This record gives sequence, structure tokens and C-alpha cells, in this order.
Amino acid sequence: MRKGIALEEEIEPFEFRQCVSVVKSTGKKAKNLKELRKLVAQVGDESIFHHVCQYFLKGHILEYTNDFAQWAGETLEERALAERLTCIDPYTLKSVESVRIELLREVDDFLSHFPEPHDVIPGNEFYFNETINLIFPIGVQARNLAEFLVAIDHIDPGSIYYHFYDARVRLGEGIVDDFSRWIEHTLMRKEIADRIRAIDPFMHSIVSIREHIREIIEKYVRADMEGVTR
Amino acid sequence: MITQYSGIAPKGDLLLIQRLCSKLEGKSFLHVNSTREGGGVAEILNRMVPLLRNLGIDARWEVIEGDATFFDFTKKTHNALQGTREKITESMWDHYYEVNKRNRKSLDLNADAVLIHDPQPAPLIDFRPRSRMSVWMWRCHIDISNPMPGVWAKLKAYVSRYDSAIFSVSRFAKSLPVDEYIVTPSIDPLSSKNRDLTQQEISSVAEKLQINRDKPIILQVSRFDRFKDPIGVINAYKIVKKYNECTLVLVGSPATDDPEGEAVLNEVREFAGSDPDIRILLLPPDNHIEINALQRMATIILQKSLKEGFGLTVSEAMWKEKPVIGGAVGGIPLQIVHGITGFVVYSVEGAAFRIRQYLNNPLMAQRMGQSGKEYVRNNYLLTRQIRDYLSLWYCHIQKGKHVIEL
Repeated sequence: MRKGIALEEEIEPFEFRQCVSVVKSTGKKAKNLKELRKLVAQVGDESIFHHVCQYFLKGHILEYTNDFAQWAGETLEERALAERLTCIDPYTLKSVESVRIELLREVDDFLSHFPEPHDVIPGNEFYFNETINLIFPIGVQARNLAEFLVAIDHIDPGSIYYHFYDARVRLGEGIVDDFSRWIEHTLMRKEIADRIRAIDPFMHSIVSIREHIREIIEKYVRADMEGVTR
Repeated sequence: MITQYSGIAPKGDLLLIQRLCSKLEGKSFLHVNSTREGGGVAEILNRMVPLLRNLGIDARWEVIEGDATFFDFTKKTHNALQGTREKITESMWDHYYEVNKRNRKSLDLNADAVLIHDPQPAPLIDFRPRSRMSVWMWRCHIDISNPMPGVWAKLKAYVSRYDSAIFSVSRFAKSLPVDEYIVTPSIDPLSSKNRDLTQQEISSVAEKLQINRDKPIILQVSRFDRFKDPIGVINAYKIVKKYNECTLVLVGSPATDDPEGEAVLNEVREFAGSDPDIRILLLPPDNHIEINALQRMATIILQKSLKEGFGLTVSEAMWKEKPVIGGAVGGIPLQIVHGITGFVVYSVEGAAFRIRQYLNNPLMAQRMGQSGKEYVRNNYLLTRQIRDYLSLWYCHIQKGKHVIEL
């Protein structure tokens, strides 16, 4: 028992953090697809990151998975383009620049078939924003799976976003999130880490990501308590 | 004081407010607007300033004073900035500047951060004390996406001298040579407009206002103004009535400062005719508990506007877990995620169809009401707005960084 406590103290705890964004307008807007193309090529990485990667921070999956696809589908009513833009997965691409290249490729291809884009009505333009991100610890730590399970229910969606989505871009590895990284490298539970990594970030809202992680962890916590060997 | 919001506002927002206040402790934060009472800005400042003081920030709120000519001018420019044509002369602009110049003698403009609300006190930037390092931000609460060009050009000259400008919606932002931020407005979940009410409180309001609760209640709370489309709401109700039993309640305040208000009210009354299931109520503007109770007893809440600023009545309804239907204008589509937190509509027929959908699918209505409340919790509560103002101030101090670790 004492040995167990000593071991637990040596374990580097998982410190939950959260990201809050302040939205900054770039002052740039596009009223049709040609203008959108020009500005996608011009704006800073922060703006592309905001409109594609931070889309999941909205907390619910709509028909599309980034602001460009949403605008193409709902405002321009170019559904085919919207479907293609929505398939751009920022987490399999290694950088914001590659996301930009993919966006441009899809828009260029569409424009080559339909070279005369129509204007949207004033007020429905695409407004390019970017964010300043404030990151702070939320005062919650986990030293083992059971504590992690309690924490995952307690934290705000913004914390899940930071560790599950933002980490993929921050760590530059695309498929690795903070949770599975800690579980594999600190708790040495690769099997659990693999299961978390198998959750497709692209197909879920933050709420359902929380549910999936809770389900996985709960199953292993129960098994640990019951002494089931895996 | 901030602990009053525990369990109501997102934990992260409260934590970040506390963390930012500890970083900014002892610093001064001055707000300036043109009215101590009435309107959303005064409502928020009344709550926010004591809350910040309690967290160690030397927060102050100053109000500029002006004569009737000044306020007549600012009312005109307010309309002109929102797209109405107004006749504004050069001498009016001179008077506007002179009133602000006079005010600087009675106002203490020394502060580490200064937030000037709306166009009325905008020229105060010319009297910014040079003796201290400070951040001056101009906060625009109105929709200036389609202003009279000449009026905006004059105002822009002042706004461009600030360190940054803050708008409620991306679409309202203008091309400016300063940093521009987007901070959406908010509702206070603890105010009498929005706090939880007991069943007894709700029943006593129903009794007082003689509201029949036997039938589903369709409600719209808004001024009697053509842009709020009260006639359209009655038309939608008439379509619904062919299929479903319901009561329509239209609530507004007597229009003391709006000459058109009375004309619109008469039109609405005439159009409603003698239908006993249409109730048109005029309540004094400070009857917050009554409005709160009406929203809580409603089955469905509409905001079928044809033109709107942000339309915070939508968030107020969503906070009460009500299924909502809103016109696709102003800030309404930001609050209503179509099909998830409510329905956005473009016509009378659309409004009628969605009312019928809600009436025939109470479970769906309940689910959307619940999603709406969570959406407001995460996006449109006062604590989020306080968090954003403090974050902006801190971002100015950390100038140039896109990621700030606290």
C-alpha cells in the first residue's frame, strides 16, 4: 500500500488546462468565391487556423466541419463545393499551410468549372477573423485513471477542445491528443491510449468526445477495481 | 460576488476572470457612457463595475452630461449610423465636440484601461491624459454595417485614434486602422429579467395579467415597432390556429420616446380584432419580473424581427429553456443555431410552420430548449463578456502575442 502511494506521488499528474479565444477581426471580407480565394491565399495562418481548426470549439457539429464549407453551403448554396471543403481534415494535414493549400486547391478546381461566381447579398459576406488564445490551468489534476474519469466529467468543453483538438495542431503530430499521450507515456497504458486515439475527432462534437472518453476510461477503471487482467 | 455565478456560468470563465483580475490587481479600469439608467449598456455596467471592484480592480463608471441639443444630435447620429437618413449640420458636430470637451473637466480620465461606450463620448479620446501609459478602447454596441457615409466618416476620425475598437458582430466591424475585436453582448442570469422564478411567482403574474394558461402560449416580447413585425406574428398565429389551439401574447412597453410606436400599436390592435386568444399587453419598462414570468409560462417564444441589432431577447428566452423562432436578421442567427437551438425563419409561413412543428413535437421542443440554454450558458452570459473585456485589456499589455499563457 505504501509502495503504491509512493509510486502515485512520483507520477507526473495530468494538469487540465483550458483555452479561451478572443476574436479579432482582420477587417477583410469576401462577397463571392473569387474574393474568398484571393483572401484565403492572403490572410495569416491565425485566420485559417480559426476558421478551420477552431470550428470544433463551437460545440456542435453542423452539416459542415469548417467555416468555409459552412459559408459555401449555406450562403453561396454551392453544396458540391461545400461537401468537398468539409472533407479537408486539418488533423491529418501537418500544418496550417497545408490546410490553406487544400482549401485553395478545392476552390480553384470549382472555379475552373464555374468561373463566374455570384455575389451574396450585403451582410452575408465571409468575414475573416482570427483569435488570440489565452491558456490557463483550471486547477484540476489527475494522478490515475479514476481521478481522470472524475475530471473528464467536471471540466468545461473548452478544456476538452484544448487537450483533444488543439493538441493535434500544437504537438504537430495530427493524431496525438494530450489525453492519450499522458495515458500512454505516464500511466503506461498503451491499450487505453490507442482506444482514445481511435475516436475520430472529425465525426463528433465535443460533448460526444467527452462521452466516448468517459466510456473507455470507465470500462478500464471498473476492470482495474475488479482485478480483471487484460 | 463572482461566486454567485458558480454553478450557473461555465467554470472556465469564472476561473479566467479571477486569474486575469489577479494579474491586473490594483489597476484602474474606467467605463464611460452617456446614461446611468435604461438600456443594455447601463444594465451591464451596473452589475460589472461592482463585480470587478470586488475582484481587486479599481473599476469606475463615469457618465457624460449633455444638453437637449446634444442628445437630439446623438439620437440622430445613432439612427444615421444604423442606416436611416438624417439631416446633420456641421454646427451640430461642433456642439457634440464642445459638450465632450466640457465633460473632460468633470471626468477623471486617468485610468490604466478606458472603455468608451458608443458614439456619444467618442471625442473624449482627444483628452486622453498623456502622462500615463493606458489602453483606450472604443466599444460600439450598435449595428453600423450600413451607415450614412458622411456620419461614419466623422465618427471614424475619432475611433481611429483609439488603441482598438470592439464590435458585437463581425458584420458590424468597419475597415479601421486600429485593432478590431468582436465581443458579443450578454444577459445577466441573476437579474430580475432572467433569474429563476418560483411557480408561485409565475402563477401570480399570470393571475395579475389574466393570462389563460389552458392553451399553449406563443409569446413575442418587443417594442411595437414595424421592424419587430408584430403583424407578421399575428398572421403566423392565424395560420397555426387553423390546425392547433393556442394563445398569442404580444408584450411591449408604452413608447414614450418613439412617436411611431403608438401608431404601430393601434395597427396591431386593429389587426388582432376581437380574437379572444390574442392578448396585447403594455407593461412599464421596469416590469422585469412580469416579463420573466411571461417568458417562463410561454410554450414557444418568437422574435420574428425584420431588422435587429443583436436581439438579446432571443438569449433571454433560450436561457429559460424555451423553444425559439427568430427572424434571420442581425445577431439572431448567431444565437439560434438552426435546427439545434431553435429555428431561424424568413417568412410568416416559415414562422407558422415552425410553431406547428414545436406544438406537435413537444419532445423536440424540449430538446431544443435545453440545447438553447446550454448554448447561452457557454456564449451569452455576462461573465463571458466580463472575461472578454479583461482578456482584451490583458492582450493589449501582451501586445503582439497570439498565444498567451496565464
